[in-house]
Amino acid sequence: MALLCGSTSVTPFLSHNNVVATTTSTKSSFVGFQLPLPKLTLSSSVRTLLPQTSRVRFQQDSSAPVAEDPRFVCVEPEPRFKGPDIWNKTWYPKAADHVNTEKTWYVVDATDKVLGRLASTIAIHIRGKNLPTYTPSVDMGAFVIVVNAEKIAVSGKKRTQKLYRRHSGRPGGMTVETFAQLQNRIPERIIEHAVRGMLPKGRLGRRLFTHLKVYKGPDHPHAAQKPVELPIRDKRIELKK
Amino acid sequence: MNKGKIFKLAKGFRGRAKNCIRIARERVEKALQYSYRDRRNKKRDMRSLWIQRINAGTRLHGVNYGNFMHGLMKENIQLNRKVLSEISMHEPYSFKSLVDISRNTFPGNKNVVIPPRKVAI
Repeated sequence: MALLCGSTSVTPFLSHNNVVATTTSTKSSFVGFQLPLPKLTLSSSVRTLLPQTSRVRFQQDSSAPVAEDPRFVCVEPEPRFKGPDIWNKTWYPKAADHVNTEKTWYVVDATDKVLGRLASTIAIHIRGKNLPTYTPSVDMGAFVIVVNAEKIAVSGKKRTQKLYRRHSGRPGGMTVETFAQLQNRIPERIIEHAVRGMLPKGRLGRRLFTHLKVYKGPDHPHAAQKPVELPIRDKRIELKK
Repeated sequence: MNKGKIFKLAKGFRGRAKNCIRIARERVEKALQYSYRDRRNKKRDMRSLWIQRINAGTRLHGVNYGNFMHGLMKENIQLNRKVLSEISMHEPYSFKSLVDISRNTFPGNKNVVIPPRKVAI
């Protein structure tokens, strides 16, 4: 089975067979075995002829050992590839696969976007859950820059009713602020608080949080990283007036 | 002696658990219990990781995991999730062709009519 699974030269056949199978018949058979590998098909066709002759021989003289026929001796063919088995083991990223300097940088304008929906999209991109190379124990995500943080919007009466609490640890040390008060004081903290709640809690989560950069005005100091516009797929992220 | 075996298994443990037999014995027993349980959990975790990777890969093409697998099942494509996740990572064009096959078979449930919400009188 390891030999049937793809090398890069074989998978184009796989896709070609897929297309052919669906155009000719609605029910495509098990595609894997249609791959044209010369060595294995010969031996498998010979092996299907085998059962009739060997079973008869076995019943006649079960005590005497069966003569070794060189055609039917089970010999593993020479493995085509030497080295680690990358086809049957789940891929795990090496250090070179998640270098911080080669990660994508995204920029998003927070003007008139709903707070929670924006934070959710940002958290997904920072964690790397939009990539097929996602690994939960490794930081595979991108960096995200948020500008115009003071213009973030919330629906309903949250502007005056949503409370942000913090406790200093001493008795009587709880401070409660509304959304509007915090927005006047430190607007970046609103988006940071929202995204931090959506990232995993732990060592890796704290490191992921450092990949979020929130700024108050419309400009940011990361032009050298050439940030790209963050692709947003949520249709209800713009606050409806 | 049993102590020797315990200390051999306790290599890398934190603090006195690697040096003192009374503590090491407890920790090693727990470690063996965890490894028994996790040999079974590893199969579940791996499958969950494959599903998450496939989901991410298909969403890049605008299809979600559920609809994708439904389309594959309809076409009787018996590739397992491990292989599908590896294809989605390393063979993007082949994976795109799989997503197209699935989308042709099962375009998704966008045409489903949701009955209007009943308003309380």
